[in-house]
Amino acid sequence: MLKVENLSKIYPNGTRALKNVSFEVKDGEFLAVIGLSGSGKSTLLRCINRLIEPTSGKIYWNDQDVTAASASEMRKIRRQIGMVFQQFNLVKRSSVLSNVLSGRLGYVNTLPSALHLFSAADNSKAFASLGQVGLAEKSHVRADSLSGGQQQRVGIARALMQDPKLILADEPVASLDPVLAHTILKYLEQLNKERGITVLCSLHFLDLVHRYATSAIALKDGEMVFQGLPKQIDDAQFKAIYGQEAERVSLL
Amino acid sequence: MAKTEAVPKPVANLLVVRWSSLIIPGLGQFLSKKRTRGGLILLTIVVLAYLVNWSLVHQNIGKIDVGGVVTSWLWLPLALFWAWNVLDARALAVQKTSSPLIGILCAAIVLYVIAWEVTDVRLNRLVERFNDARTVATNLLNPDMITITVNGQDQICAWRCMDTYIGDKLAGRPVDGPIRASDNLLQIFGNLKLVPAARWQVDLGLATPGSKVKAFNAGSMIVTIAMGLMATLFSTILAIPISFFAARNIMARLPGGAVIYYVARGILNVVRAVDTIVWGLIVIVWVGLGSFAGVIALTIHSVAALGKLFSEEIEHIDPGPVEAVTATGANLIQVIRYAVIPQIVPSFLAYSLLRWDINMRSATVIGFVAGGGIGFFVIETVRMGGYQQYATALWAVVVVIVLVDFISGKWREAILKDQPQKDKNTSRPFWNGLRVAFYTILGLLVFIYCWNLSEINLGNLFSPGSNFGLLIKDFVTIDLSPDVLQPTIQQLIVTIFQAFLATTLGALVALPFSFLAARNLTGRSRLSVWIYYLTRALFNVLRSIEALLYVVIFIFWVGIGPFAGMLALAVTSFALIGKLFSEAIENIETGPIEAVNATGANRLQMIVYAILPQITPPFVSYLIYQWDINIRMATIIGFAGGGGIGLTLTTFFGSLEYHKAGTVVAFIVIIVALMDFASAKLRQTLV
Repeated sequence: MLKVENLSKIYPNGTRALKNVSFEVKDGEFLAVIGLSGSGKSTLLRCINRLIEPTSGKIYWNDQDVTAASASEMRKIRRQIGMVFQQFNLVKRSSVLSNVLSGRLGYVNTLPSALHLFSAADNSKAFASLGQVGLAEKSHVRADSLSGGQQQRVGIARALMQDPKLILADEPVASLDPVLAHTILKYLEQLNKERGITVLCSLHFLDLVHRYATSAIALKDGEMVFQGLPKQIDDAQFKAIYGQEAERVSLL
Repeated sequence: MAKTEAVPKPVANLLVVRWSSLIIPGLGQFLSKKRTRGGLILLTIVVLAYLVNWSLVHQNIGKIDVGGVVTSWLWLPLALFWAWNVLDARALAVQKTSSPLIGILCAAIVLYVIAWEVTDVRLNRLVERFNDARTVATNLLNPDMITITVNGQDQICAWRCMDTYIGDKLAGRPVDGPIRASDNLLQIFGNLKLVPAARWQVDLGLATPGSKVKAFNAGSMIVTIAMGLMATLFSTILAIPISFFAARNIMARLPGGAVIYYVARGILNVVRAVDTIVWGLIVIVWVGLGSFAGVIALTIHSVAALGKLFSEEIEHIDPGPVEAVTATGANLIQVIRYAVIPQIVPSFLAYSLLRWDINMRSATVIGFVAGGGIGFFVIETVRMGGYQQYATALWAVVVVIVLVDFISGKWREAILKDQPQKDKNTSRPFWNGLRVAFYTILGLLVFIYCWNLSEINLGNLFSPGSNFGLLIKDFVTIDLSPDVLQPTIQQLIVTIFQAFLATTLGALVALPFSFLAARNLTGRSRLSVWIYYLTRALFNVLRSIEALLYVVIFIFWVGIGPFAGMLALAVTSFALIGKLFSEAIENIETGPIEAVNATGANRLQMIVYAILPQITPPFVSYLIYQWDINIRMATIIGFAGGGGIGLTLTTFFGSLEYHKAGTVVAFIVIIVALMDFASAKLRQTLV
C-alpha cells in the first residue's frame, strides 16, 4: 500500500509544484492522476520514488518511510517500483535487449553489470518480458529503430524486469498517436488485473480515465482538488479541475 | 520576476539619465536599461585611456608637442568617443535608437594606430628587402626532393629540372645522369638502412645473431605522425575518466561533488590556456629533449582540451534514460554504464578524431622547443640556411596534414550520422570476427611501432632532470618586481595587438576569396568551378602549415620581430577565416533569396537584402573566434622570432629564471582565459 501524507514540493526557483497532497493507493488499484500540464502530476510521481526530493511530507510504501530511506534502502525500494515515461526514456543507441536488461540493475552486483554480464535467468526473463509486450523478435535492434509505440512497449518490458509491485506511469501515452494509446494502456491494465500490480498513471484524456482507472485523483496548481471514482467526475468537477473555459474532448 | 511596465519617467530623472554619461561614461546607457552597452562603453574608455597613456610613456606613440606640453594626439579620438557616448546616452534616454558607428570608429582609430606602432609594422621593409625575399622564395619554390647526377656531381633537381628530364625521357632524347630521391627527402620520410638484427628476428629464425638486416629507418615526418597518434591515444584514455569529474550533472549526484566539479573545471581551463609549445618548454626540463617530451607536451594540452569537450558532452546528454535507469534502483556506476556511456560514444570518438587533426598540426612544430619530429628538422635546416631543404619539409607537412584533415573529417561525419544499421543479419559473423581480429592486430602493430618511434620511456617520467625540482618550486612563486612586470605587460600588449592586426588583415584578404570558394554563389561554368576548387585548395594548403613555420619565412623577409609574427598569423588567419566564411556563405538559406528575387530585385539588391543579413552574424562570430585563436598562437610565435610574449618566455626559460617564467605563464593563462570567456560571451550575444 502506498500512502502519501501532506506532500509538498517547492523548487529552488520558488515554484510550488505540490501543496499538502495526501492520498492512499490500495494494492491492486489502478489510480489515474489527472490535471492540466504543469499541475504537478509529474512532480508527484517522481517524489514517490524520490527522483525528485520532496520538500516536506511523508510517503509510506508498505509502511516503510520512503522519505527517510538511506541511499541503499532507496535503491531497494526503487527496484520494487517500475516506472514508465512519456518520452519512453530508452537509451536510443543501445539495443532493445540492453534497455530491457537495465531494468534488472537494482538486483545485480555492480561489477558484473558494469561488464554487461547478466545471468542466464535474467536474460531469459528479458526475453519473456519482451514476449509479453509482443517484441521478442526485435531484441537485437537498436532502440531508435523502433516506432514510438514499440519504444513504449520496451519501456514497459524494462519496468517488468523489476518484478514491480507498483508501476508509476508518467503520461505514458501523451507522446503517442491516439490510436496507440489503447494498446499501451491495455498492457498496463493487463498487468494490473492479471498480476495484481498497482498502477499509478497520469493521464490527459478523461475518457481514458473512465475506461481504465479504478479510482482517480485530480491536481490543480499543485493542490489535490478531487479524489474518488472516475465516474464521479461530472461536468462541474471537470470545470473545477480544468478551468471554466475547458471543453471535453473525446479520444476515438 | 515581474517585469515592470514602462512608465513615463519624471523629468528630473530624465535629465540625470541624459547627462550622467558626461561624468561617468556609460552610466546614462546603464540607467536606460542598456546595461551591456553601458558596461562596454565604460570598459572601452578605461582600456583605451590606459593604452594611450601607456603607449605615450613607453613607446612615444602619437607624441605631439602642443605649446610646450608633450601629449598624445590619440587623446583626440578618445575625447570624440566620450562626446559620442554623451549623445548616445541622450538619444537612449528619450527612447530613440542611436547608431554606435561613430563610437566604434573612434575606438578603432585609437586601437589601429597603437596596434600599427607596437607590432612594428614597416611596410617599407616588404619592398626594401624584396631581393632577399625573392632569393628565399625561389629556394622555397624549388624544394630539395630529387637529386640528379650531372658529370659525377650531385645537384638538386627541382620542378623545372624534373620537367626537362621527364620531357626528354619521354621524347627519347639523351638525359643527364641518373636521378634518385634526395638525401633530404629520405631524411624526412625515411630510408632503408642496414642495422643489427633484432632479437625477435633471430628468435623467429629470420636472421642469424650478429648479422645485419635491412630495416626501415623512419624519417622525421613519420616520427611526427607517430607522436600525433600516441598523444591522441594517451589523451583520449586519460580525458575520459577526468571528464566525469568535470561534468556537473554527474557530480551533482555525489556528496561534495560540486567542489570536485569546480576544481576539475578550473584545472582543465588553466592547463588548456597554456599552449602545447609552452608545455614543451616545461616538459623538456622534466624528461629531456626528444620526441618523448613532444608526446608528453601534446598529451598534456590535449587531455585538458578533450576533458573540457568530453565533460560538456556528458552534460548535454538526454537526461531521460538517466532518470529511467535511476528509477530501476541502479547505483551511480550502473547509471553511468547503462544510461550515460552508450549516449556519449559517438561524440567522444568524433572529438578524439578532431583532436587527432589538431595534435598532428601541433606535432609539426613541437620539435621547435621539445626536439623530435619535423619541427626539430626544420630548426636545424633553417639554422644552416637550407631553405630548399625546408621547402621539402613544408611540402611534406602539407601532404600529411591535408590528408589527416580529410580522413578525420570524413570519419567524423560518418560517426556523427550515427544511423542504426538497417539489417544486421546480412553480414556473416565469421567474416565479421575475422575483420575485427585483423583490425585489432593491425592497430596493435601500429601502436607498438609508434611507441618505439616516439621513444616513449615511462621510466623517464619518474627520474626527472636535475632542474625539474627547481622549476616546480620556482614556478609557483609569482614575481611581480618591475623588471618582470614591465616587459611582461609590454609584450602581452604586443601579443594582443599582433593577434588583432593579423585577424583584421587576414579577414580583409579572405573576404573576397571566401565568395569564390562558396559553391552556391560560384556559377556553373567550367571556369568558376575551377576557381572554386583552386580557392578551396589554397585555403586547405595554407591552413595545414602552422604559424610557427610561416614565421621562419617572414623573419627572413621583414626581419625578426612582431611584424614577422603578425604576418605569419595573418596568413593562417586568412586560410581559416576564408574556409569558415565560405562555409557560412554555403549554409545560407535559399528561401529569402528566392523571395527577394520574386519581388523583381536585381543582383546587388538581392545580395544586400537576402545574403548580407544572413552572413553578418556568423562572420562577426568567426572574427571574434579567430582573434581568440590568434591570441593563443601569438603567445608562442616568439619562439621562432615572431616577437611578443613568447620571446620573453624563452629568454626566462633559457636563463633558468623559472620564477620569472612562471609569472609570465600565469599572465598568459589569465589573458587567454579572459579572452576565451569574453569571446564566448560576445559570440553568444551576437549570434
